[in-house]
Amino acid sequence: MVTKRQLGIFFIAMALLAIVGSFAYDLAGGGQFSGIGPAQRLALISAGLVGVVGLTLLPLGDRPA
Amino acid sequence: MSAQAMPQERNPWQSILSALPWLLVGLALLAFIGYLLIYLHYAWQLFHFPFDYDQGEGFELVDTLMFSRGQWPYRDIDSYPFYSSNYPPLFHIMIVPLVWIFGPQYWTGRLLSFLGTLVTAGAIGYAVQREGKRWWLSLLAGLAFTASNYVYHVGPLFRQHMTMVMFETLAAVLMTVTIDMEEADGRKRPLQIALVMLLLLAAGYTKQLAYATVAAVFIFFFLRQTWRTVKWAIPFAIITGLIFLWLDHSTNGSWMLNTITANINPFVPGQAQGLYRQWFQLHIVLAMSAAFYAVYQLYFERLSLYSIWFVVAIVNSVTAGKWGAGESYFATAIAASCILIGLAFNRLLDWSELRSWAWKAAVTALIGFLFLFQANRFFHMPTHTPALAAIAEALGRPSFVSIAPQTSCSAPRDAEAIPYVDDAGVSLLGRPPTAADSAAGRQIAAFIAEGETAAFGEDAGFNLYLERDVITNPTQLLNLYNNNAVDLTEMLAMLDSQAFDTVVLRAQFYPPPVLDTIGQRYQTEELVQMNGFVYCVMRPRLLD
Repeated sequence: MVTKRQLGIFFIAMALLAIVGSFAYDLAGGGQFSGIGPAQRLALISAGLVGVVGLTLLPLGDRPA
Repeated sequence: MSAQAMPQERNPWQSILSALPWLLVGLALLAFIGYLLIYLHYAWQLFHFPFDYDQGEGFELVDTLMFSRGQWPYRDIDSYPFYSSNYPPLFHIMIVPLVWIFGPQYWTGRLLSFLGTLVTAGAIGYAVQREGKRWWLSLLAGLAFTASNYVYHVGPLFRQHMTMVMFETLAAVLMTVTIDMEEADGRKRPLQIALVMLLLLAAGYTKQLAYATVAAVFIFFFLRQTWRTVKWAIPFAIITGLIFLWLDHSTNGSWMLNTITANINPFVPGQAQGLYRQWFQLHIVLAMSAAFYAVYQLYFERLSLYSIWFVVAIVNSVTAGKWGAGESYFATAIAASCILIGLAFNRLLDWSELRSWAWKAAVTALIGFLFLFQANRFFHMPTHTPALAAIAEALGRPSFVSIAPQTSCSAPRDAEAIPYVDDAGVSLLGRPPTAADSAAGRQIAAFIAEGETAAFGEDAGFNLYLERDVITNPTQLLNLYNNNAVDLTEMLAMLDSQAFDTVVLRAQFYPPPVLDTIGQRYQTEELVQMNGFVYCVMRPRLLD
């Protein structure tokens, strides 16, 4: 059984992965825009929201998810 | 008798105020039953229409016909008749017995798809009823599904999408029931879990998009029973993969090429944004209620499968932005939201009943009002009779809309009055086909019958009507062309030598080299309007 805290940690990890992945894609030469493109901006905002939700789940501790 | 169990005496005002909310609930039920009748009428009209209403329908019928003859529809599209399909087989296989009995009729697939939507609505109602035991709320939740503009538009079409949604919904409901039972008495039910896996497999081999529901079910299972999920996921993945490999091997690689490679289509961000906006505006009560309940569960209780399914389906609806995709991609999210709104409102009613009659009356009134508000957002109805036109006007809508027929191969035409009003906007789906549309289809078929060959046409229906070969599948041809996975040499040579007596264009979906050759070798002889499209019927040009 997964707890709310574990779910929060998972959300935070996914958000960080998405943010890092988004910039890594740029470094690898992907994307059509210089700087942050529209799709990348949307991905970063979504990742940020998921990360914030993850943070708010941490205090809920060992309650079942 | 305890004081609590004694009936509470109410004054007349309390009785009146307690009854008023039920008036709103009754009106909401009336509205949604009205939508069901409109849906039945649309489906009935479609069952009688013998040609393509939606462009892809005929090709799904061709797939079914091939399966009925023991042939694969995943073929080499490079050579005559240049046909191949990009859809998994289950939906078509389910229709095969009907085709054996009645022949290649459009109503067979339309009926199956339509019945699938009713089964889905029933499953939604059951999911709500087993938790809340309020028949009227369960009925409203189920009817909300068939009342959705999107479900209405595509439900009775010969398309596999709604059958996929049916399998997805049955899987989600059965999984929830099974886990609830297991957690209640501690007894494992592997047979029921196996049935859930079978339903997920059926959904995936009806349409590829079901992967999102598969993910949602396994996420839920993982949250509840982590290691047991791994034990089920491994055989599920192996069986899914083995079926995939068997299909690919049996079709000499055409399965992989046509169902996977050809589906890698360009993403149109504006299309995705527009559809998300429209879905939210049309389904605002369902969407907001489901979202609030999912957030509530995330923080204050355990996440249900329905909440996870809703979120995953909403995210996956971004694929509606792919070329060739559309509003039907939201149907899974709509099914999930219908269950969640029922569960959320049941919870609210339980809460209000613990307080006072006034709270209960207020919450019941709010629920009735919200369903009425949602019914108003869903507005769609034919207005071809004076009574229906009067109802539309009484509800503040026009009695008809003016829409110009869609032309792609001919000059634009003036708008004409269409007796069908839909808050989803100008749509060619949803308007029941008429006798004039059937006559137009027969007129095109008669033109083709004057020649001796099958027509090179964008709709399969005319050749099927004449029992001639169906030549290519234009959208699939374009998909493969865009992925550099087709050799057009033989097709272009046949068009160049005017091997086809007739060409029928509707939307010019063919790849550019095909359209170029058609333009050089054929000329338009007749324009026929059917279902709001102007078809160009072309004959060979006289060559020097």
